[in-house]
Amino acid sequence: MQESAYFKEYHPISGVWDEMYGDAGIRAHYTKVIEYLSRESSDDLTRKEELAKRLFMSQGITFTVYSSGEGIEKIFPFDIIPRIITADEWSFVEKGIKQRLRALNLFLKDIYDNQFIVKDGIVPIDIIYSCPHFLREMYKLQVPYNIYVHIAGIDLIRDHDGTFYVLEDNLRTPSGVSYMLENREITKRLFPDLLPQCGVRSVMEYPSILYKNLLSLSPRQISNPNIVLLSPGIYNSAYFEHTTLARLMGVELVEGRDLVVKDQKVYMKTTVGLQQVDVIYRRVDDEYLDPLVFNPSSILGVAGIMGAYRKGNVAIVNAIGNGVADDKAIYIYVPEMIKYYLGEEPLLKNVPTYQLGNEDERQYVFANINKMVVKKTNESGGYGMLMGHAASEEETEKYKKEILKAPRNFIAQPTISLSAAPCYIQGALHPRRIDLRPYALCGPDGIEIVPGGLTRVALKEGSLVVNSSQGGGSKDTWVLA
Amino acid sequence: MPDFRIEHITRYTYPSPVRDSANQIILYPIHDEYQEVIRQELHITGDPVVDTFIDYYGNEVGTFTYSQQHTSLTISSKLSVTTRQRPLPGNDIFPEQQWEDLKRLSQMVPYIDFLKPEYFDGIKELQAIVKSERSKEDTPSQVALRFCRYVYENFEYVKGVTTVETTMDEIWKLRAGVCQDFAHILTIMLRLVNIPARYVSGYICTNRHHTLRGEGATHAWAEAYIPDYGWLGIDPTNNCIANDTHVRLAVGRNFLDCSPVRGVYKGSSDHKLEVAVSVGYEDEAHHGSFLQEENTKAPDFKPVDDRPKNSYQQYMEMLQQQQQQQQQ
Repeated sequence: MQESAYFKEYHPISGVWDEMYGDAGIRAHYTKVIEYLSRESSDDLTRKEELAKRLFMSQGITFTVYSSGEGIEKIFPFDIIPRIITADEWSFVEKGIKQRLRALNLFLKDIYDNQFIVKDGIVPIDIIYSCPHFLREMYKLQVPYNIYVHIAGIDLIRDHDGTFYVLEDNLRTPSGVSYMLENREITKRLFPDLLPQCGVRSVMEYPSILYKNLLSLSPRQISNPNIVLLSPGIYNSAYFEHTTLARLMGVELVEGRDLVVKDQKVYMKTTVGLQQVDVIYRRVDDEYLDPLVFNPSSILGVAGIMGAYRKGNVAIVNAIGNGVADDKAIYIYVPEMIKYYLGEEPLLKNVPTYQLGNEDERQYVFANINKMVVKKTNESGGYGMLMGHAASEEETEKYKKEILKAPRNFIAQPTISLSAAPCYIQGALHPRRIDLRPYALCGPDGIEIVPGGLTRVALKEGSLVVNSSQGGGSKDTWVLA
Repeated sequence: MPDFRIEHITRYTYPSPVRDSANQIILYPIHDEYQEVIRQELHITGDPVVDTFIDYYGNEVGTFTYSQQHTSLTISSKLSVTTRQRPLPGNDIFPEQQWEDLKRLSQMVPYIDFLKPEYFDGIKELQAIVKSERSKEDTPSQVALRFCRYVYENFEYVKGVTTVETTMDEIWKLRAGVCQDFAHILTIMLRLVNIPARYVSGYICTNRHHTLRGEGATHAWAEAYIPDYGWLGIDPTNNCIANDTHVRLAVGRNFLDCSPVRGVYKGSSDHKLEVAVSVGYEDEAHHGSFLQEENTKAPDFKPVDDRPKNSYQQYMEMLQQQQQQQQQ
């Protein structure tokens, strides 16, 4: 095969799994794309890259970075070279995520009901009871079909030998799915012939599957239930996503002030009077949902909504209280949950994780802190992390003090080698580190995962942090048929 | 076996009409072998449907909404309750055995929830006090009573110096407060020595011979878990065991779990609150005046979108909250 100029300069990072380049050269599933790219001049690709940027900008596909000091709204950097996943790899990932989610759902049901897993000593009780997202208000509350996690974003990474690992479970308000959809739309325009030629599976069913599931949760058996997407408002980092999903599903986009609770039912204020709301896909945190029950100073919530939820008069997606299952200290026990509830061996592995609330583990981590990534158990988006290998002594010492104040709220993981994929950077292909977040939808008919997801990429050379808040970008993700 | 007649009225008045109020009440006395509710009449402005459920701590909780415009909201509860005296814990189990039992319970539901002493600046100081007040041979119930006397003797009972929002740090500096604060401190002290401690809200009933602190309003005290006995009520405001003169409404980790009346509404942030509790024996003429200005802590009642802030500050707060919502 013809080696174009791009590949002479492509040097896979040693000791890192390269999605495109194996021991025997370019992997089979990348050859069609590479052949295509080889026919394009670097000017052509640069033009495509420019076009992609313009499309993102004109469609307002942006996100917000907090505390960066500059203009906070940014376009999400997009790399035009797709990340490709084989049918076999996907089938494994799909099975693994479904298995994990079945167990996590059973865990939530159990923890808010009988707590068998605690009684049997599989998950330590103090980990549960010290988790701020374990909501006693959810105890014995019946949720439709016993589904707690309707939408999950499971973050996967690949080690140096290509093995998939789960880095974290996002079970509260997983975001980024609109980028998955937009990235595909833009790729269709950049490489219109390539998608069918390569046999890329479609991801565009996502909104219709989600809509179908939301519909099935309606407590009223009527032909046209009211489904709303509850957004915190225009200043939220993911507001673009809220509008996109509401538009694609054809549901109302509302804020807390548009809703009111009367006699344990939720109503939406409309120009033709109050209309009862049946299903709420909310993107507001638990703590802010109901000022009567949770944070009384919340302006974003709906007072009394918890009562309507308790009575079964409204379905809330995702369920309230899911944070107890995606707490990073509880993540450690997910493989055990899979064995406990399903009697199966976990397909997807966990990254080895140290709970800093345990004295021994904390001492080990402190002694080896430059080989560790330390994270807060209740933060996501790459905020509040310490990358041991990159941090200065001063930063490390400060962070250690922080840990000692509340060790339960921290975990540490050995620095993991993320896999790399080729990115088009300044006219040439360069390997950059990536992860993968597939989106799983759980409804009464089971769990469905559209083939694909969001591939996030650390665009800075040498960086291992893919979060958009920390200078990450994304790629279209192709799953081959 | 005293029979009490209790009338508890909470009234909110607003200078301008408010609407869409959502409320939660924990005004239903606990039913058990030491306490029986003969009759309860609940009257609420607008006659809303009150939906009740049992919360995590076993309390009966009512919720209702009142969406029409209104300038006052009155919640009135009339009760007839019979209480029975409960025998006190015996001293027939060795203290070491009891402390061992408590250690075992510390990792069990529900006790685990009642063992976490909240952090405040004076905790070190309090720890030292707890250590010196406690003698090694004491049983848990003896320790609980010692701590009760300590709070009674070292804190001044002063109405109006604290509110619902007063922090533990401030109470500690003041060394004064009302029953809620006394109960709060006692629960922390008990938790520091690994005795599970609950916060209790309820009513204190006039003793036929002398008056007690905490009358005329809702009262609060603590309960300590004593092995082989159960929850022992201790009232640090009156330095006594809470027995058949105390009517229990709710138990929880703290005041927030038990607040008798709580609500959120839309409209003016200004409101006036009046609370009156009168207690009498079934067999005597009713006495007690109603609607005295509330002296103890006010229940939570908050406007949802109209905090006491100017429009700019409200806007900035909204902006901040919108940004804070985690999009994982």
